[in-house]
Amino acid sequence: MTNYNIVGKGIPRVDGPAKSTGKAIYTVDVKLPDMLYGKILRSPYPHARILNIDTSEAKKLPGVKEIITGQDLSDVRYAFVDTPRYPADERPLAVDKVRYIGDEVAAVAAESESIAEKALSLIKVEYEILPGVFTAEEAMKHNAPVIHDEQLEGTSAWEQWGVAQRKGSYESEIKVNNLSGHTSVSFGDVVKGFHESDYVREDSFELKATAHCQMEPHAAVASYDPIEQKLNVWLSTMGIFLKRFFLSKVLEMPASKIRVHHTFVGGAFGGKIDLFSYEYCAAYLSIKTGKPVKIELEREEVFMTTRQRHPMIIKIKTGIRKDGTILAQEVKAIADNGGYRGSGPVVIFLCHGFSFPIYNIENYSYEGFSIYTNNGIRGPQRGHGAPQIRFSIDSHLDLIARDLGIDPIDIMRKNVRHEGDVLPNGDKLNSCGLTECIEGAAKAIDWENKRMQFRAKEGNRRYRRGVGISLCSMFSGAMYYPFASAAIVKMHDDGSATLFTGAQDIGQGSFTTLSQVLAEELGIGMEDIQVVAGDTDLCPIDLGSFLSGTALVTGNAVKLAAADAKRQVLEGAAEILGVDDIDKLDTLEKKIFLKDNPEKSISFQQAIQASVLNRDGNPIIGKGFYKGYPQTDRYPSLAKGKGLFTSAYGFAAQAAEVEVDTLTGKVTLVKAVTFHDCGFPLNKTIVEGQVHGCVSMGAGQALSEEVFLENGQCFNPSFLSYQLPISLDTPESVDELVATIEPSGPFGAKEVGEGSVAGILGAIGNAVHDAIGVRFYSLPITPEKVLRALGKI
Amino acid sequence: MKKTIRLVLNGEEKNLLVNVNQTLLDVLRDDLGLTGTKKGCNQGECGACTVLINGKPVSSCSLLAVKADGKSIDTIESVAKEGHLHPIQIAFNEKGAIQCGFCTPGMILVTKNLLEQNPNPQIDEIKEAISGNICRCTGYLQIINAIKSLAKS
Repeated sequence: MTNYNIVGKGIPRVDGPAKSTGKAIYTVDVKLPDMLYGKILRSPYPHARILNIDTSEAKKLPGVKEIITGQDLSDVRYAFVDTPRYPADERPLAVDKVRYIGDEVAAVAAESESIAEKALSLIKVEYEILPGVFTAEEAMKHNAPVIHDEQLEGTSAWEQWGVAQRKGSYESEIKVNNLSGHTSVSFGDVVKGFHESDYVREDSFELKATAHCQMEPHAAVASYDPIEQKLNVWLSTMGIFLKRFFLSKVLEMPASKIRVHHTFVGGAFGGKIDLFSYEYCAAYLSIKTGKPVKIELEREEVFMTTRQRHPMIIKIKTGIRKDGTILAQEVKAIADNGGYRGSGPVVIFLCHGFSFPIYNIENYSYEGFSIYTNNGIRGPQRGHGAPQIRFSIDSHLDLIARDLGIDPIDIMRKNVRHEGDVLPNGDKLNSCGLTECIEGAAKAIDWENKRMQFRAKEGNRRYRRGVGISLCSMFSGAMYYPFASAAIVKMHDDGSATLFTGAQDIGQGSFTTLSQVLAEELGIGMEDIQVVAGDTDLCPIDLGSFLSGTALVTGNAVKLAAADAKRQVLEGAAEILGVDDIDKLDTLEKKIFLKDNPEKSISFQQAIQASVLNRDGNPIIGKGFYKGYPQTDRYPSLAKGKGLFTSAYGFAAQAAEVEVDTLTGKVTLVKAVTFHDCGFPLNKTIVEGQVHGCVSMGAGQALSEEVFLENGQCFNPSFLSYQLPISLDTPESVDELVATIEPSGPFGAKEVGEGSVAGILGAIGNAVHDAIGVRFYSLPITPEKVLRALGKI
Repeated sequence: MKKTIRLVLNGEEKNLLVNVNQTLLDVLRDDLGLTGTKKGCNQGECGACTVLINGKPVSSCSLLAVKADGKSIDTIESVAKEGHLHPIQIAFNEKGAIQCGFCTPGMILVTKNLLEQNPNPQIDEIKEAISGNICRCTGYLQIINAIKSLAKS
């Protein structure tokens, strides 16, 4: 592997000092002069018609400055998905109906939070309660209550931006009640594949809603300047340009008249990318009152009314040869997206997209449905579909291996894809370390010795141990608005540089890794770099920090910007050094030197001065840009799974050793092993941190995390009752890098931050089976479920 | 109703006029602009609002400001001294213990108290000490390693 000076090293985060001293300003910390506080009135019913809203008493309360209801904003619609096939179906405030408990009904701006809260209690809403439906399977039935009965027009948000639109009818041929999205993909001949198989098995798995649990609650501050007609916003978000785009559309304001300011983001995990009602309301209330307005959600609101992971039912049928070769697979996934579409059509597409890169199955069919129910809205959550599908498929294959009396790892070895493979949609795996990941994980968990050994040895002992393994994969960015990232590098007189990037550091460390890319390419030190980021007025476009595209897409843009700046520095230096060709020069430690005579050198400072003095004042500014998927001009089809998805897939194999207490039913994750292929690791410490975070979140989802819902009501909207992992749950952890070099990535880097949340679920489920001989077809595996399965309660 | 309280805040004596129903957290953040102390849940479950009261970690969201009368309060803003980061802050950053950073102030204050009480904590003792502080980003391992690196054996 090439020796680099800065990339690849575990350099401390550039934002570490600000965050560790309390100086880092998050959206919840923003306070502006004369600021008003907003609160939102929410529906207490899962499904009801609004008959009347009376705000007259509330408006009389001293300190109340403005109250708005759906009647004021009836034409405004938005959604995470907004296309002719899937028209936007959310409104900032309900107009005719409410569709889940927490649906927004009215918004108040007042002089204090307590006045705003008091005002909410004075608003009188008359509802006609409608029958609700709370599972996708029930909602699909022909006699189920219809949640969206309005005919919505759909124009693609992206079409307005200039993206070519597909022609044809968007009328769905699938006649299912409450359908919000449908994906259908197939290749080969599944019927023939099953026919030729030695063994066919079918299973069904169920996954529940889970919460993101970002530590910073969702919040927005909006400040409208009526003279400049400019809206300034501070948002806790993953993608500033996507948010600006949404806001510009719904507020009917030019994009340049909306400025998203940088704030640090206290965790996102997929849950801070949709446009939210509170963001729209803060902006609208600020426009109406001419004062800054802040809306900060309570923790309970974050749990109930922002976004959750999609509960899903996944049915799988696999045909296999005795030797473990998979001949055919049929997958059907049903996602419950709640009262509005959210990311329903996306998650059912991604269940396919994040799983089919793993096994090479000649005959395959996948069908996904997303369904409206009267539950809270579901949206992207770390892995976005991968935890659900990967848990299901690898649990299913583990069962098949047991049936056939073969080692599940042999099935994996036989069927995984390899470097150079071309996927059925045309994506090429230019780097793929899956096989090495499997071998490494198996060795680290001591697979040969531990699998199926504990039970035999331990007999009727109270504590039983077992091991399991599962695989996962993830995109490194894809094509979605704004389709590309750009970066600007401004050189200063003293030879240091400022990086301008629209990327958001949501905790994943992008300011640090992007600075490393810049420092390495340009030949300066980390201490010579400042980052200006996350501001739509100051920074060039950026995809945003989701779909794991920042390292590859924005990383490439930064590398190209640095190369552009370097070229200009070298040109300035060449004149001083009397060199005719800049290829004879290189840079290191803020110096430019002759490659064949490194003693002969000048400083960056001298070269920059020369550029200004000798070239009519031309300063050095580098520019770079990179498209989400350079070889394609279209975003993938959600409905048909056609088109190119991503230029690089990250992969991982994850193994778990669990201990089951057969007296209490408690499952403890004793050891978690992740062997991952993230290409070249730009920062080892940051890469490890991403993997640990994924493992912890995945372990929580496997063993304790579930949003308890009954008739649409959430019963555990707090950290304590939701039971996410705490420090005492931390397992022994082994994580190793299977370093490949991804040719399309900066220095060979690709995805790391999401995939590894998905494999640990199946690994734990399989390990529990290994320990106690019981299969759990639904997560989380709680003590109660274990005791029931063991016949103890 | 308002009441005047006296406290030593980050080493300085202060007389503050506070509402009797105001939490210490809201006084720190809203009245004094000390936003390093974070509001994660406002119900005493996440530890993001941890401050040291007479040296001991307390969730400031669950304490009325008037109850802090006469006490010594240290917030995250007091940890770096004279322009220099505290060794805990340096260790946290070097070991990867900081990601989004929202739990970091609370974690650092709990660590400060732990190391004062027990300069050589074992892994189990570290896990126990930070068990009231939720971190969603790191999976805790790099935080535990950072604290362990500060242990004086």
